Amino acid sequence: MAKAIMYDATKCTACRGCQAACKQWNELEAEETKNTGSYENPADLSYRTWLKMRFTEVENGNGLAWLFTRRACMHCTDAGCVQVCPTKAVNKTDSGIVYIDREKCTGCGYCVEACPFDVPRLDGSRVTGKAKMFKCILCKDRVDNGHEPACVKTCPPGALDFGEREDMVAKSEARVAELGDDALLYGDKELDGLHVLYVVNHPLKDHKLPVNPEVSPAVTLWQDILKPVGYGVVGIVAGGLLLNYMVARARMVKAKEGK
Amino acid sequence: MTHHEVEKYSAGARWFHWTITAAALVLAITGLFLYVPAFSSVAEGGATRIVHRIAAVIFILAPLLFFLMKPGRSFHFIKEIFSWGKDDLAWLKAAPDYYFGGDEKKMPPQPDMNTGQKLWAVVAFFSALGFIFTGIFMWFLKDTLSAGVFDWMVIIHDLCFIVGGAMLLVHLYLGAIHPRMTESLKSMVKGKVSAEYAQSHHGKWYKEVAAREAAAKGTPGGQGKQQAH
Repeated sequence: MAKAIMYDATKCTACRGCQAACKQWNELEAEETKNTGSYENPADLSYRTWLKMRFTEVENGNGLAWLFTRRACMHCTDAGCVQVCPTKAVNKTDSGIVYIDREKCTGCGYCVEACPFDVPRLDGSRVTGKAKMFKCILCKDRVDNGHEPACVKTCPPGALDFGEREDMVAKSEARVAELGDDALLYGDKELDGLHVLYVVNHPLKDHKLPVNPEVSPAVTLWQDILKPVGYGVVGIVAGGLLLNYMVARARMVKAKEGK
Repeated sequence: MTHHEVEKYSAGARWFHWTITAAALVLAITGLFLYVPAFSSVAEGGATRIVHRIAAVIFILAPLLFFLMKPGRSFHFIKEIFSWGKDDLAWLKAAPDYYFGGDEKKMPPQPDMNTGQKLWAVVAFFSALGFIFTGIFMWFLKDTLSAGVFDWMVIIHDLCFIVGGAMLLVHLYLGAIHPRMTESLKSMVKGKVSAEYAQSHHGKWYKEVAAREAAAKGTPGGQGKQQAH
């Protein structure tokens, strides 16, 4: 059964306990960062930061809004990274978790480019091309053993919840109704359903969430059209050459016998 | 007729040919591991990615080096592969009968590169440009490219692979396997072909070669003096 995380931005205090819990459970090293004048830290996701809170300051009619947005893998149903991965190292579980088998990962980085949410990160050398991909795997090890993800477990204000996806959708819808006004649910329909649901009461663009996320047509073109065409072209050419060899040889032998 | 051989490819041209062949084959095979999921286990660990990059450097440097060493020959080659005329059309029309049945009558006499070889050279030229251009982007400029542009670079790289790869198969076949191309491989290995082969496969070119040889023989002293200058 599909599972999902529900993130209620209206309850989030941006304590970043989830960030710390994520690092602790997944044994990810800390990063040395610079103070940029914001509580937001680190500045971006990385191969050892799979979850971070984004801080956005927005001026609207009612003055300044200080928005917090969870940044981590959205575990899409229609996942660009899964589609594009040439070695099938990125996969989905039945519960909707998008995970990576790092043994199979060649470090090509196609998933990095195919992700509509800019989530996967590579650790490796640009020059040699040797690399591995890292991202949130929704604490697959914990979920497989009946636990909630580490971020959800630690969240003090209860802004994160985890359970059956249906239940999380229902709970999110109820919360949206309760909040009224501009509140909305993000992630129920996007990319055939994300496995991280967002309840927000500010416009999506203020949260820097893509309004209509989609997998690039180039990914589909590459995987579903160009590859079969390639097999076809090479097959036809190879077949033609084989035929040519047989015919040309037979006629040569015949011509020699004729002499 | 006594056994007589004429030089078809200089040592430099042969070295260039085989260097770029080796690089292209390594590139094709290491690339194939990412293209065909069934082979993907070979690419695990990323060693093939390093090999692909080393071969890519050779694939880029070899033509540059050849160009610097023999700019005249290089320009001549480029000019030749893009010169197409009536004879080429006639060749294309007659080619199926010849390559299947061995009917030589309709084949117009060819210069040192026949129409098919020119066609392959043009495809190889453009696919190499495509490979190198998109490859450099994918290698070094990944971070500066937008995701959409990167995806298209991969697609162009693959298109070059399909078109260039299919033509490479044809080239390998005609160069080394086709029953009538008896001396094609030899010409690229040893540099020489027999006069008979040159006459039947590259008639136009052989005429020039024969004329040059006759001139050299006819006035050995004069030729020698000219060369001494």
